[in-house]
Amino acid sequence: MAADTRRRVAVLGAGLIGIDLVDRVHRSAKLDLVLVAGRGQNSLGLHRVAELGYPTAAGGIGSVVEAGPFDVVFDATNADSHAEHWAALRPTGATLIDLTPTGLGTVVVPGVSPHYPVASRHLNLVSCGGQAAIPVLHAVSRHCAPTYVEVVATGAAASAGRATRRNLDQYIDTTSAAIRAFTGTEDVKVMVNLSPARPAPPFRVAITALADGFSPAHIRTSIAAIADTVRGYAPGFEVTSLAMGSGRISVAVQVTTSGRRLPHHAGSVDIINAAAVLLAEQSAAAL
Amino acid sequence: MDTTAHERPRVLLHDPTLRDGQHAVGHQLDAGQLRAYAIAANAAGVPVVEVGHGNGLGASSLQIGRAALDDATMLTTVRETLTSSRMGVFMAPGWGTAKDIAAAVRHGADIVRIAAHCTEADVTERHLDVVRELGAEAQGVLLMSHMAEPRKLAEQCALMVRFGAQAVGIMDSAGYYLPADVTERVAAIASAVDVPLIFHGHNNLGLAVANSLAAVDAGASVIDATARGFGAGAGNTQLEVLVAVLDRRGVSTGIGLREVLAAADIAAARVMKAPPSIDSTAVASGLAGVFSGFKRPVLEAARAGGVDPIDLFLALGERQVVAGQEDLITDVARRLKVATG
Repeated sequence: MAADTRRRVAVLGAGLIGIDLVDRVHRSAKLDLVLVAGRGQNSLGLHRVAELGYPTAAGGIGSVVEAGPFDVVFDATNADSHAEHWAALRPTGATLIDLTPTGLGTVVVPGVSPHYPVASRHLNLVSCGGQAAIPVLHAVSRHCAPTYVEVVATGAAASAGRATRRNLDQYIDTTSAAIRAFTGTEDVKVMVNLSPARPAPPFRVAITALADGFSPAHIRTSIAAIADTVRGYAPGFEVTSLAMGSGRISVAVQVTTSGRRLPHHAGSVDIINAAAVLLAEQSAAAL
Repeated sequence: MDTTAHERPRVLLHDPTLRDGQHAVGHQLDAGQLRAYAIAANAAGVPVVEVGHGNGLGASSLQIGRAALDDATMLTTVRETLTSSRMGVFMAPGWGTAKDIAAAVRHGADIVRIAAHCTEADVTERHLDVVRELGAEAQGVLLMSHMAEPRKLAEQCALMVRFGAQAVGIMDSAGYYLPADVTERVAAIASAVDVPLIFHGHNNLGLAVANSLAAVDAGASVIDATARGFGAGAGNTQLEVLVAVLDRRGVSTGIGLREVLAAADIAAARVMKAPPSIDSTAVASGLAGVFSGFKRPVLEAARAGGVDPIDLFLALGERQVVAGQEDLITDVARRLKVATG
């Protein structure tokens, strides 16, 4: 039997995002799920992961360092804890893929920057809204220089866990900063809604750019192309409306799930987790 | 509260004329208008004057509407006029951030309301904490509260109290409630928390004052009301009417009737083009349970898309849209147009 060449992976955090990540890593032929670490014996998420038959530990980052070294660690905890996690993992040689909205590592949006950033072992995935909006905005800003960009992300209440809810300010700040970096537009506004509607509505991101002198045909073509690219890893990504005129480009994007365990509406979790696993697999290929 | 048997029960009237009223004028109130009404409300002894963009701190946007003035200008303008009234602001996490709260308190906000949709109180944890740390009064309110059962609202209010809210309550953002709905909900919340309870009504079904009275009878002690009912959609609970009604009820507000009537007249003359009215779309919007602030964007989208605004309100109600989802309005209008040919 050939030696196992899969990357040794740990998932830190057993909330909504962490549990879905566990499932995806398990299904990946390139990744070997070695540990899922949560905080405290009473974590419901950790119990669920254990029930699914995966190895768990309750000591958070301490458990990960102890069971290491790992090739890849996903941080699916919260923005406030992330810096400490990176400090602990940095000396171990692991690549840390941050799914919390810190913007501390190299910011990566696979739809825009398809090449794995070999030089960095600390990657950040902005936010679910950033993962959905930035490809579209990047396509737009190739053809014009928006003077203002606005992004409104609406997720179902059921798709946002406790950490997400506590990190709304960081979500807004990090997504705004990443949009500035990817588009060159200074004036950026990001807003987030959680919808209590039943049945839960799919994840939706409304994107508006104010710009002059653009060719609607070029923008339409570019957005269609980038949507195809994103669908390569997040098949539920869809541009549901595109309106252009009088100095304004308005795009609505909807993301539904492609994973097995996630409900249809939880496209927010889907798109960021799909991006995370893609990066982890690319890190294996980049060896 | 330190009421004795001889004192009349007290209710604090919280006046968001210069915040909720912004919805009626596309968030275009200017400094002269803010100043004129704030001076009048202060003179009338209105205890709290709330000011800001219609959706509160940080909400000025293409999505919800851009305000004529930025938050800092609105707040400093009103602050300068207030000698006895306290100044209130409103912020929903996701629209504004802790930075907006800090700036508001720096500009003299005494009371900061942190808002969440009816089942989402846990988004207020961080920001209620920020308000407390800054030393302002922290209040927690649930928007679109008709979408949740009384027990759920009570649980969510208790959560906000745990996060540090010094008063909590519900907003009838769509103007959907009947008085019995309010009684049931306020009573449920009253049995779950021991801080003052807030009720904020809208008048789509002509019941804002009656609902506010029901809230007081069920134990609410902070009632929102605006001059001439100036506010989103069909407007809010009418302040000067409520002062009179509560007086007849034997409830003290500390506000003089003549003074509040004068303030309302100034609002009518200076702040609004026309007082709010319960037009046909407002009735449909209330019945559909749609956020009152959607009125202007719905009318615009219906006109642009060639659909009946009442149909559009009903379609939005079916999708249970909440405040902040204005981007859905044109999409739903377009689908409606396709469906109806």
